[in-house]
Amino acid sequence: MGNLELIVEKHSERIHHGLEVLPTLRHGLPAGLGNKRWTAELILATYEMALTGDLPKNGLEYKIGDSGGGFDVLGWKNNGFPKIDEDDVDLSISLNKREVGKKIEIPLPIYGGGMSFGSISLNFMLARARAAKKIGTYTSTGEGGYPDAIVPYRDHVITQVATGMFGVREETIQYAPIVEFKYAQGAKPGLGGHLLADKVTSEVAKMRESSMFTSLYSPFPFHSVYSVEDHKKHVDWIKTVNPRALVSVKVSTPTDVDMVAIGSYYAGANIIHIDGGYGGTGAAPEIAKKNIAMPIEYAIPKVHDYLMSEGVRDQIVLIASGGIRTADDIAKAIALGADGCVVATAEAVAVGCTHCGNCERGRGCQVGITTTDPELSRLIEPEWGETRIVNLFTAWSKRLRSILAGFGLESVRDLRGRKDLLVRYK
Amino acid sequence: MSGQRIIDSRGSLPVDRVQVGKQEAEGGCGVVGLACNAPLEGKYLLQSLVQMRNRGNGKGGGIAAVGLVPEQLGVSKKILEENYILQVAYLDKSVRKKVEDEHIRPFFLVDHEARAAAVDDYRSVPGLEVQPPEVFRYFVRIKRDVLAEFARKNGLEGLKEGEVEDEFLYQNSYRLNQEFYSSLGEKKAFVVSHGKNMVVLKLVGYGDDVVRYYRLEDFKAHVWIGHHRYPTKGRVWHPGGAHPFVGLHEALVHNGDFANYHSITEYLAQRNIHPLFLTDTEVSVLLFDLLSRVYKYPLEYLIEALAPTTERDFEMLPEEKKKSYRLIQSTHIHGSPDGPWFFIVARNDVEKNEWHLLGITDTSMLRPQVFAVQEGPMKIGIIASERQAINAVLGKLQGDQRIPSRFADSYWNARGGSFTDGGAFLFTVRDGGDGKELECADKFGRSIDLPEQDWLPNVGSSVSLNASIAIQLQKGPSAQDPLGFYEYVRPALRDAGFQYVGEILEELKRLAMKGQESRQFAIKTLSLLYDRIYDTGNKKRSSLLQLYHEALNDVFSSISLSNYDQHTRLDWKNRSRLVHPLFDEQVLVVDALEFPAEGEDSAARFVVDAYTHGWKNIVLYNLRGHRFIGSGLGPRTNSLRIDCYGDVGDYVASGIDGCEITIHGAAQDQAAQILKYGKLVVHGDVGQAFMYAAKGGNVYVLGNAAGRPLINAVGRPRVVINGTCLDYLAESFMAGDPYNGGGFVVVNGLRPSSDGRFVEQEYPYPGGNLFSLASGGAIFIRDPHQKVSNEQLNGGRLADFATKDWNLILPFLEENEKLFGISVRKDLLTVQEKQLDPHKIYRKIEPTTLQELT
Repeated sequence: MGNLELIVEKHSERIHHGLEVLPTLRHGLPAGLGNKRWTAELILATYEMALTGDLPKNGLEYKIGDSGGGFDVLGWKNNGFPKIDEDDVDLSISLNKREVGKKIEIPLPIYGGGMSFGSISLNFMLARARAAKKIGTYTSTGEGGYPDAIVPYRDHVITQVATGMFGVREETIQYAPIVEFKYAQGAKPGLGGHLLADKVTSEVAKMRESSMFTSLYSPFPFHSVYSVEDHKKHVDWIKTVNPRALVSVKVSTPTDVDMVAIGSYYAGANIIHIDGGYGGTGAAPEIAKKNIAMPIEYAIPKVHDYLMSEGVRDQIVLIASGGIRTADDIAKAIALGADGCVVATAEAVAVGCTHCGNCERGRGCQVGITTTDPELSRLIEPEWGETRIVNLFTAWSKRLRSILAGFGLESVRDLRGRKDLLVRYK
Repeated sequence: MSGQRIIDSRGSLPVDRVQVGKQEAEGGCGVVGLACNAPLEGKYLLQSLVQMRNRGNGKGGGIAAVGLVPEQLGVSKKILEENYILQVAYLDKSVRKKVEDEHIRPFFLVDHEARAAAVDDYRSVPGLEVQPPEVFRYFVRIKRDVLAEFARKNGLEGLKEGEVEDEFLYQNSYRLNQEFYSSLGEKKAFVVSHGKNMVVLKLVGYGDDVVRYYRLEDFKAHVWIGHHRYPTKGRVWHPGGAHPFVGLHEALVHNGDFANYHSITEYLAQRNIHPLFLTDTEVSVLLFDLLSRVYKYPLEYLIEALAPTTERDFEMLPEEKKKSYRLIQSTHIHGSPDGPWFFIVARNDVEKNEWHLLGITDTSMLRPQVFAVQEGPMKIGIIASERQAINAVLGKLQGDQRIPSRFADSYWNARGGSFTDGGAFLFTVRDGGDGKELECADKFGRSIDLPEQDWLPNVGSSVSLNASIAIQLQKGPSAQDPLGFYEYVRPALRDAGFQYVGEILEELKRLAMKGQESRQFAIKTLSLLYDRIYDTGNKKRSSLLQLYHEALNDVFSSISLSNYDQHTRLDWKNRSRLVHPLFDEQVLVVDALEFPAEGEDSAARFVVDAYTHGWKNIVLYNLRGHRFIGSGLGPRTNSLRIDCYGDVGDYVASGIDGCEITIHGAAQDQAAQILKYGKLVVHGDVGQAFMYAAKGGNVYVLGNAAGRPLINAVGRPRVVINGTCLDYLAESFMAGDPYNGGGFVVVNGLRPSSDGRFVEQEYPYPGGNLFSLASGGAIFIRDPHQKVSNEQLNGGRLADFATKDWNLILPFLEENEKLFGISVRKDLLTVQEKQLDPHKIYRKIEPTTLQELT
């Protein structure tokens, strides 16, 4: 065994050990872990669920954080709904509600959000893709190209076409069952994308066909799309390259997000994906996060109600993202009007993210998630990561079933838009 | 100030306080406008709108016509010129009497009134789903006493009578709209237009539906504008929301979306102007009317108030202009629309007795726009979202034998908010010595002059075929050498008349029928004649292009369907007869005419099908705006070659990876997006956002690129642009080390002169942003007079042009010479008839390490 292998093994073992021990609270709550949104308990509960595939048994809070707003002040009504058996609850949703095009269903109302090769390590990408395949859902390439290692999972990988179109080639569009246009990210709307020089290693530069260790910008916005008819043309282009692909449109949540949604619908989108301001890794500028986009819990009902009033709600899938941390967050988003959610950070937490916030640096991530460093990025073994993510989603499914059964709802589709089931604390 | 008095007089107008904010959302649209010194029928607008349907969604369409023909309206010339044409659209026919009794009869003398013609049943116009409004046209004069009372009550006494009349019309229409459209739950009637010698018609449908429904195919006007709308909000659409919107004597259509709608409505509210239809197009025309009619700004100042000259462009203005522009900007910046917009305005300048067609682009040039002009038996100016729409108008006119060519004499883009052209062009129709004349000028009033050359005579009758000077093609040494033949006939193309050219073409067409090899020779030769720039003597190039275009089409159309020949042909009707080629070199010629422009059955998908069937040589002709040609072929298409004839649409060559595409003519917007590898040759200009995020490719462009070429390009694109660009070339360029496999762009800054030489443009690069935030690659710019300055660079720096740079670009310039006939020695390296060293001519721009990028 070479020196590097030994180092990787040593660190991996310790990380794995830590992820097992910390949630037991044997040593108390770790000081300095997490923040108000992702509290230490929530992080530990996520570690625990990723380990066991079950909800935490030791009283760790796994439903809400402590932000004092958003989903953390929304709770469930509890006044004698006829309960049903959890096993009878169906969590599947459709990702294409239009009459034309391939019918795609996912067994739970969750798929993975775009995190690019470059922003995260190849191993973490692989772990996500393997988990998506195992579960029967999807993960997204993000905007950093489509590494060859991901190709075997292509039936479960969404190709993202974002404003810099890094690594987007015809074959990567042709691989994809779903193509996702990323117009903006809720964590930093209007700022485009950034990958700082540190992370642009030779592998990353090669994938993006850029220069090594030079910062990369994705512009805001698409320079070929300044209006809805340009967007229609953009969709037509993708459909020319891959006529079978479903189209998802990912946007942030400006005040006229309802207009954007209806415009996307008329341009032929199958999925409108709204990304609120709570999400983003530590690489998104702090000043932008939570400060520009409309809070997702406001945006979801705004879009849902509007699509209802326009009579097209049942033709388009509404997906919410941006700070979806827990099964309860997902259920709340759905009760507010979404069909399902996209998650990314929670998957990172499943494999050991501590929310230290150093994601933009090349060697800032001590657990090998948001790094492209050739040593650090080996800390996540894809198979191990896959298991952890699958476990997390399994635990979440249990929680979702329990919520739905508590309301006597047989399908997660029946939860959609049931604002009446929510109460606001405080 | 008369302006302030007019504004004050509106203080008493009723205002709906409830409605705030934009109630309609729309983004892009398809727009077209044309102006001609002869009155043209509405059918000429029709085809361009049909070919731009994909820019709208059938939820709103409209037209405006200015400079009408009195007989068609059933009035005298005097009435047409002096009366207002008050047009009221009745959504609810039962309110007509009420509207007339309350808003028309008490105030106006109605010299003539009639219902605007329309087809009996709207359902007979395919696609129309909503009953269009019934439009009544009242030719009115304001009663003297009413006008005097209005002036007295509103403190407008002493103003010119015409000014008071205009304002009366404006306020009366406002009140009518306020009562019958805006404040009602149900919308019953609205004033669709009220200017002199102009009409507007609009409905829920496409722009071309308006022409059909209101029977405008044969309705004549000197100035037309048309519009497809793409509204996305509201389950019920009303024609009131469709474009054009009117101020008073002007109508405006708009493509885009403001970011500061709210700010502009506030600005207008401060001047007692309150929008009733709540779209940004309405506020645009209200703004226009305010600046032109109330403030009486000359057009230049009006345009400056809408699209301010900023940054380096401002610095480049003459001192005098800087002073006045600064004042305008500080006064009106809050009323300046921000974001992507492009306006086309048709107006009647009553005072000067002129009719105008005006196109204005926003400062950042975020919307597509093309201008064109053709001079012949008629002089015609056209503005549109796409070049193919311009050619659709001209093609239809040519087909009806009204004009000599389906090609304009000149096509160009406006550089928004610029010191070079001001981002706006105006076509003016006015009385000339001999009937009407058409003039074109930029924002600064500098006229666009065309060289005085002859157009194809005897429009309509084809060129005489008696081949007295038959060319002995078979005998000459150049018989199988198209380039040799082209060089051989070049002097004749300069000196001889159209007759002789026609005979050459007839000979080539005959040759094409004779056998496979001679057909190949004819196609190649005709393509050279069509593509190349050379001295055409006193003949207009546009007229010659028409002849070549016809000859090429004849040759292609004469190829039989599915045969065993070198060439085989398919069209829409026979598309299912697609089979494998019989041999590798066999050429599939596709008549694209009837293929849809996009979608599953599009020409682009048919090309993919053909390639999948093994075809390696594909020729498309009769293209009319077909999009995405070359997309969908997938990776590693190295052996494929595609030739495009006609008007290729947006996104051509996007994503190609290996193949070679030649565009005989110009390309449009988004060409070569994410191009990966391969070769693209464009014998003309390219449109907006060219080679966005390209990864590679060897690309040669004969003409100019519009705004934002090569943004975010990475990898190894090697590009030669022989013209220049509007602005923002190679922003965030990341194409590695050019000496080590990376990419670069050569900008030659040339244009063809009227005598077929390549001459320097005034500025090799006029834009204020060059190579911004670039982190890789290089720009090599032909700039012998050192006109590019550091102020244009933000992320790049001028560096010495070294021998290794010349060695790097020379092979590409040599290929450029082969493709376009632009000589490295005689054209590129020669300045003022002196041959200079490359390093005295070319300059290099390389990336700097910006702090922001580390």
